[in-house]
Amino acid sequence: MERREPTEHQSAQQQAQLFEKSLPKVNQLAFNMLLNELVPLSMAVENDIHDMAVKDSNAEDVTVEVLAGDVDKKVVLKDDDTEEEKEQAPKYKIGEQSHKLIQQIYNLDDEYRSNSVAERIQNVGFQIGSKLCELLVFSNNPTISFRDMDLLAVMKFVCRDVWKQVYGKQIDNLKTNHRGTFYLLDYDYKPIQTFALDLDPEQQEKELKLVEPFLEIPVGIIKGVLSSLGFPKDEVICVTSFVDRPDDRPRSLFPKGVSFHVQVNRR
Amino acid sequence: MGIHSFWIFDRHCNCIYDREWTLLSNSGSGTINSKQNDETAKLLYGMVYSLRTITQKLSHGSMKNEIRTIATGKYLVHIFCTASGLWFILLSDFRQQSYSQVLHYIYGHIYVKYVANNLLSPIDFAENKNETRGQGFRKITNRNFIKSLEAFLAPMVAK
Repeated sequence: MERREPTEHQSAQQQAQLFEKSLPKVNQLAFNMLLNELVPLSMAVENDIHDMAVKDSNAEDVTVEVLAGDVDKKVVLKDDDTEEEKEQAPKYKIGEQSHKLIQQIYNLDDEYRSNSVAERIQNVGFQIGSKLCELLVFSNNPTISFRDMDLLAVMKFVCRDVWKQVYGKQIDNLKTNHRGTFYLLDYDYKPIQTFALDLDPEQQEKELKLVEPFLEIPVGIIKGVLSSLGFPKDEVICVTSFVDRPDDRPRSLFPKGVSFHVQVNRR
Repeated sequence: MGIHSFWIFDRHCNCIYDREWTLLSNSGSGTINSKQNDETAKLLYGMVYSLRTITQKLSHGSMKNEIRTIATGKYLVHIFCTASGLWFILLSDFRQQSYSQVLHYIYGHIYVKYVANNLLSPIDFAENKNETRGQGFRKITNRNFIKSLEAFLAPMVAK
C-alpha cells in the first residue's frame, strides 16, 4: 500500500486535535450541572430582590406607625422580633432547594416577574456565548473561516462548534429560508435528558412547562455568539419551542426535541 | 427465583423506595412504594442498622468495616452503603452469593443518573425537620428511575 501524503486540510485538522488535547479540561458533568443551576439561581436572585422590595415598603409603614405615637408597643414588638430571629436563624442561611425554586418559577403568576427570571437566565447565557465565541475563534479551529462573514456561515458555526463545545454534540438540523430566518433543531437536547416527574402521563404538560426555563440558556448563548460576530442583540429574535421527534430516531429519555427559531432583522 | 425485593433508605432513616416481587414467573408482578411495606421496611432497617453497628465495632484498625450480606435460613440480604448515607438493600435467595456489583451499578448508573442529576426531583426526601427521624413518607416516583430499575432487575427475578 502506498502511503498518501495528508492533505492540507487533514494536517490542519490533526494540528487542531493536538491543540485541543493540550487544552485544560473540566469535568463535563460538573459543567453541565453548573449550567443547569443557572435556572434556580436566577429564581433565587429574583426572590431576594422581591423580598427586599417588600421589606423596604414594610419598613416605611413601621416608621409611619412609630411617628403616630405607638412607641411602647413598637419597642416590645421589636424585642420579640429579635428573639425570634435569634432562635430561628441558623448560623448560615441555607438557600431554598433547587427543585423547589424550579417549582416556584412554574408557580409564578406574575408575568412581569417570570419574564425577569427568563431575562436574567438569558443574560448569563449571553455572557457565556459572547466569551465562548472569542475563545473558539481564537483557538484556531480549521473548520471556521469567516472570510465573507455571511449569516449562514455564522449560524453553521453556532450549530457545529458552539454546540459541540457546550453540549458535546452538534445541532441535528438547521433550516433556513435564506432571508434571515433559521430553525435550529436539537432532538436530544443534552441538559434536559434526565429530567422527569412522575409516572403519571398527565403530568407531561407540567413537566414541559417546568423544563422551559432551561431553554433560555441556549437562547442567551446563541444571542451572545451572534452579537460578538456583528449581529447586535436588538436585531436578533430567538424563540424556543418543543417539537416532536421524528419517528426514525432512536428513542431518547426526554419525549420532546427542542427547536430554536432565530430571526435576524438587518437594519 | 433470584431476587425477592429491593429497598433504598436515605440518611434520615426513611425508606425512599421499595419494590417487592411476588410471582416468580412474572417480573412485573408485586408492589412499588406500597404503604403495606412500611412496617417491613422499618424492621429491615432495624436489622441492618444493628448488625451494621456491631460490625463497625468489631473492626480492626482504621479501615471502616461495612456490612455486605446477612444470611438467614430463608434468604440473603445484600447491603451497599454509600458515604452520603444511602442504603441499597436487596433480598435474594441462595443461588448467587454476591450482588455487590449489581447494587453498585444501581447506585452509579440509575440512582445518580436519574435522581441526583434530575433537577426536577428532590435530592433530599425529607422536606422538613419532622420528616428527618424516620418519619418521612416521601418516595422516589421518578418515571425514568422506576423504568430503568425495572428493566435492569427484571432478568434477575425470573427463574
